[in-house]
Amino acid sequence: MPRQAYDQALAIAPDALRAPWTRRARDAVLLILALAALVGMAIDLELAPGALMTGFGKLGRFLGEMVPPSSGGQSVRILKALAETFAMAFAGTVIAAVVALPLGVIGAKTVVANPALHFAFRRFLDIFRGVPALVWALILVSAFGLGPFAGVVALALADIPNLAKLFSEALENSDPKPIEGVRSAGASPLAVMRFGLAPQFAPVATSQTLFFLEGNFRNAGVLGIVGAGGIGFELDERIRIFAFDEVAFIILLYMVAVACLDTLSRALRNRLA
Amino acid sequence: MTTAIETFERDRRRMLIRQRSQAALGLAIFTILLLVSFQRSQFFGSDIGGDPLGRMADFLQRMNPGLKPELLLEDRQTRGSLHSWFYALPIWLRAAWQTVEMAILATALGSVLALGASFLTAQNLMPFAPVRFVVRRILEAIRTLPDLIMALILVAAFGVGPLAGVLTLTISTLGGLGKLFAEINEEIDPRQLEALQAAGAGPLKKIRYGVMPQVLPNYASYALIRLEGNLAGAAALGIVGAGGIGLELQRSITYTEFDTYLAILLIIIAMIFLIDLFSEAVRHRLIGLEKA
Repeated sequence: MPRQAYDQALAIAPDALRAPWTRRARDAVLLILALAALVGMAIDLELAPGALMTGFGKLGRFLGEMVPPSSGGQSVRILKALAETFAMAFAGTVIAAVVALPLGVIGAKTVVANPALHFAFRRFLDIFRGVPALVWALILVSAFGLGPFAGVVALALADIPNLAKLFSEALENSDPKPIEGVRSAGASPLAVMRFGLAPQFAPVATSQTLFFLEGNFRNAGVLGIVGAGGIGFELDERIRIFAFDEVAFIILLYMVAVACLDTLSRALRNRLA
Repeated sequence: MTTAIETFERDRRRMLIRQRSQAALGLAIFTILLLVSFQRSQFFGSDIGGDPLGRMADFLQRMNPGLKPELLLEDRQTRGSLHSWFYALPIWLRAAWQTVEMAILATALGSVLALGASFLTAQNLMPFAPVRFVVRRILEAIRTLPDLIMALILVAAFGVGPLAGVLTLTISTLGGLGKLFAEINEEIDPRQLEALQAAGAGPLKKIRYGVMPQVLPNYASYALIRLEGNLAGAAALGIVGAGGIGLELQRSITYTEFDTYLAILLIIIAMIFLIDLFSEAVRHRLIGLEKA
């Protein structure tokens, strides 16, 4: 832009081409403060650059050892652990869905009309929604002993509040017209549920449950770290002894299994939709 | 006439049979899977005591801190007081704050990396297809790898402590946000980019003046949602040795103090709740600013 035209434009509208200096100064100060806060946090956490460098060196060595992946002659055991992981995910999801269904009904605005009760119940579910499955698994393993049972319960506990919330939303969003239609034909309450509500609710609920099954299969893979069975246990063991070729083998196998389940579940969900 | 009705009845019967047999097949597969799952996961296994419901109840009983209403405000030595339940509160709050710091640092670093990655994968900003392809595959690989598995490997490499946790969450934030940011980038209004192009702006100026003003509010909103997730993630990562409050959880389990576990769990829940409130307030303000 020619200098003259630029000066003219600036004279006519000083704020059009650049923000007023007060705002620029404020933005700069805020940016510096934010950066300072981040640096302060890093110092507080004692994140040392030296540790970072040596760590990357080690990580590079680990990654190098990962090629070529090797089953270490234990592929049967690993496959069994993979099956156990899926079993944990499946059982946990089914239990979560069964428990979440009545909770979802109670949580639906259309069922429990009292706003205070509705609010209290939803908040109660919200409290537990953030707790990760691993946090549940840690204490459950201590209570129930090593093994997949703790994992199943941990997955179910982590899912129940989330699924209940989704179920109640699905119930709230169902169209009242088919329900009224069935009722006006003189149907019993059970028949109203079966022919008015279920055809709307069941596909949505099933598809959400399948979605949680996918998530649980991912989560189940790590629960073994705290002793809750499955592939995570095998993985943890091998990381501890730095057998990274076997680690890579397990991770690859597991990721392929995750991808397979995701594809299958997506196909099922598409059929439902 | 009769043939039409007969045809209809026959077709209808066929359809019903097909539907029902499909439903029955689905149900059978489901039942078998469920039975096998329960068997494999030893859900009703007698070798661990059987009776899952009774054991659940017993477990809940053990988490009960045994508070006594008349002793609530007594000192630490008195069983049944709040102080004896939350006996190491300052340490736990300190660990909780470390977890928050881990989550904030990782979200900030991950967002900046994701910003860079998003420009490399957006179709309208990165003309070289091979670069887009490679960066996209890397982001995908990050997303499929569960955080905790990554954390295990990073803890082995970087040692026990928050560093491994921050790195894990940074990488997983990069994977998650990189994709979302790229999607935002691809939806921007192209006219502003064209205007800058016409004025002879280089790629950096195009990003600074053509893209940033359009996408920043959306970026910030996604990053804040991610912060909520990272906080829960950071709490869990501590369990595998990546610093913060998870370490305290692990410690209480080592001493089988179930009531202590419940106390720390409550702190985690409160922490997640507070960050959610904060993030929601900021996000609503961002959206409001966008409208204005």
